[in-house]
Amino acid sequence: MNNRTILSRLAAGMFAGASLLASTAAFAGEVTVWCWDPNFNVAIMKEAAARYTAKRPETTFNIVDFAKADVEQKLQTALSSGTTDTLPDIVLIEDYGAQKYLQSFPGAFAALSGKIDYSGFAPYKVELMTVDGTVYGVPFDSGVTGLYYRKDYLEQAGFKPEDMQDLTWDRFIEIGKEVEAKTGKKMLGLDINDAGFIRILMQSAGGWYFDKEGNLSIENNAALKAALETEQKILQAGIHKPAAGWTEWVNTFTSGDVATVTTGVWITGTVKAQADQSGKWGVAPIPKLNVEGAGHASNLGGSSWYVTESSAEKDEAIDFLNEVYAKDIDFYQKILTERGAVGSLLAARTGAAYSEADAFFGGEKVWQNFSDWLAMVPAVNYGVFTNEVDTAVTAHLPSLGEGANVDDVLKQIASQAEGQIQ
Amino acid sequence: MAAGKTGGLKRYHDLNGWLFVAPSVLLISIFLVYPIFRSLYLSFFSGKGMMMKFAGFGNVARLWHDPVFIQALTNTVVFFVVQVPIMILLALMLAAVLNNDRLKFIGFFRTAIFLPCVASLVAYSVLFKSMFSVDGVVNQALMAIGLIGTPIGWLTEPFWAKVLVILAITWRWTGYNMIFYLAALQNIDKSIYEAARIDGVPAWARFVHITVPMLKPVILFTTIISTIGTIQLFDEVYNLTEGKGGPANATLTLSLYIYNLTFRFMPSFGYAATVSYVIVLMVALFSFLQFYAARDRA
Repeated sequence: MNNRTILSRLAAGMFAGASLLASTAAFAGEVTVWCWDPNFNVAIMKEAAARYTAKRPETTFNIVDFAKADVEQKLQTALSSGTTDTLPDIVLIEDYGAQKYLQSFPGAFAALSGKIDYSGFAPYKVELMTVDGTVYGVPFDSGVTGLYYRKDYLEQAGFKPEDMQDLTWDRFIEIGKEVEAKTGKKMLGLDINDAGFIRILMQSAGGWYFDKEGNLSIENNAALKAALETEQKILQAGIHKPAAGWTEWVNTFTSGDVATVTTGVWITGTVKAQADQSGKWGVAPIPKLNVEGAGHASNLGGSSWYVTESSAEKDEAIDFLNEVYAKDIDFYQKILTERGAVGSLLAARTGAAYSEADAFFGGEKVWQNFSDWLAMVPAVNYGVFTNEVDTAVTAHLPSLGEGANVDDVLKQIASQAEGQIQ
Repeated sequence: MAAGKTGGLKRYHDLNGWLFVAPSVLLISIFLVYPIFRSLYLSFFSGKGMMMKFAGFGNVARLWHDPVFIQALTNTVVFFVVQVPIMILLALMLAAVLNNDRLKFIGFFRTAIFLPCVASLVAYSVLFKSMFSVDGVVNQALMAIGLIGTPIGWLTEPFWAKVLVILAITWRWTGYNMIFYLAALQNIDKSIYEAARIDGVPAWARFVHITVPMLKPVILFTTIISTIGTIQLFDEVYNLTEGKGGPANATLTLSLYIYNLTFRFMPSFGYAATVSYVIVLMVALFSFLQFYAARDRA
């Protein structure tokens, strides 16, 4: 290699370096967002980004679509290793895990108190992102629950939509037996490795794995006990179609194998994606547990946006979330009708979309119903260990189907959970 | 002076040697030795996420009172106690069969049996998951030939979930072990078999008394490798159970538990490091036991 080639390579290298610098400079102002679910959060974030860039063209967005578990794992790895430059500017965190991140990694997320007007949001959403009086996130969607049911199957079994209102779970199981006898369809899909169903039932009676002070509450938890008893009755009645994992569970109703789905409102998009089932679905309030304080409203999932403290575009990211998620009422109407996202910005509910009838659900005003139920969701303390206790509960669900005594199961759950919470 | 000169030369060679190995020594120190000691150090701390404080042997005490750890340990032991012998025997028999020159399409069979272990871990787990779902191909086939009346909950019943994991890893790794045996079989002198045949030793006895003893070092090697692999089992259970190790923690392995402690639960790095040292100790213990059991008594 002679001197000339070395020189020319050096020049080429310097040129490449310079152009790299230049391109970074041109993209200063790119806000990176991590979230999951291309049909829901990702699509909604793209809509929000489009609205913001319409006003401020110099800001660009890079919305990265991961699976939820991957978002959580990448976030946790980056935070614990301290390599904050790999972190995005905005990240979506599920509400159950919010306190875990805020308390385990102090200083990792930007404090937003005073920068965003929290009085406009549903209070339970603000509370779960507050640590020592400081609020850290921007509340996003709610997981208010409903009982989606196939009108056609229930009609074949002799039930009208009126019969689906104001149910108890015992009545639900009776109907389920009728439905199976008359139509051969199962009443619901149930994943034995997922405690989501238990959480819905428990919260509908104002209970959680923890009391208001955040102490573990398992053995004397009437709501949890009633929820476990109900799942046991369902398992023993055999009105469920077993599913292993999320995809199989979703498949139980998209394939038309089951007559009902009890879950969060965010499933609406998936239900409506089956165009051939249009007009066949109805939505009712979820059945009620047979304990004191039980109601027809509950919550499953729901998540919120957080800005990372180390972000280079921190102010831009905060301004973006504030402009769209905390102020834009029209945005909430659009994501409601297109994606079925019920936001937690209270003012959004006065918008036109919320009072419209939905043809897919036979002209029912489903959104009005969901927003009415949202106001009735009991506020509970998710604490920092929901994932741990959830795992303990999940581990004992199969024994319920084998007829285990619910009090014994509660004891076992408590002992496993205590081992995990340290 | 002469002595001094040799010393200098020796030094020169030593230095060169060190220079040659320096890059790998450096990399191994950074990416292997440092993490090993760092995790040992970590295992003396406990706390939430980065809010850690010194806990002494607190994490070791926690192991004893943690039913999930005990369960994960039991599962891991069940997996390798049941799976490794099945796989080794199967691989040995397949190798013996496929070493027969009179067999047609021998190359095809060897490739077909070896192929699973080059398949992507994730791809085959996903495939197994769909094949073994409640109305998957396997249940339908078993019902069609009348072996079972109602579908088996391969992924929803604790016992069958364990069976499925064992099936999955056996399917994947048997071919891999078989290749070792096939290679070793080439090295056995054919005249030993001829002599045995002339003496009228039946085929099964030739297998038991000639093939197996001659393969002893390879059998030992594959057993250790398989045991270590099974003790560290993670990918299959993670992908088959969406990272949960369900149902009822029946497929939770130690590695999966470490993952959950670090990434799914309130991050508990110190405790996770302690559990990982349990794996280290187990691997060391079992390797020692196997070497000891198979030592040359002669």
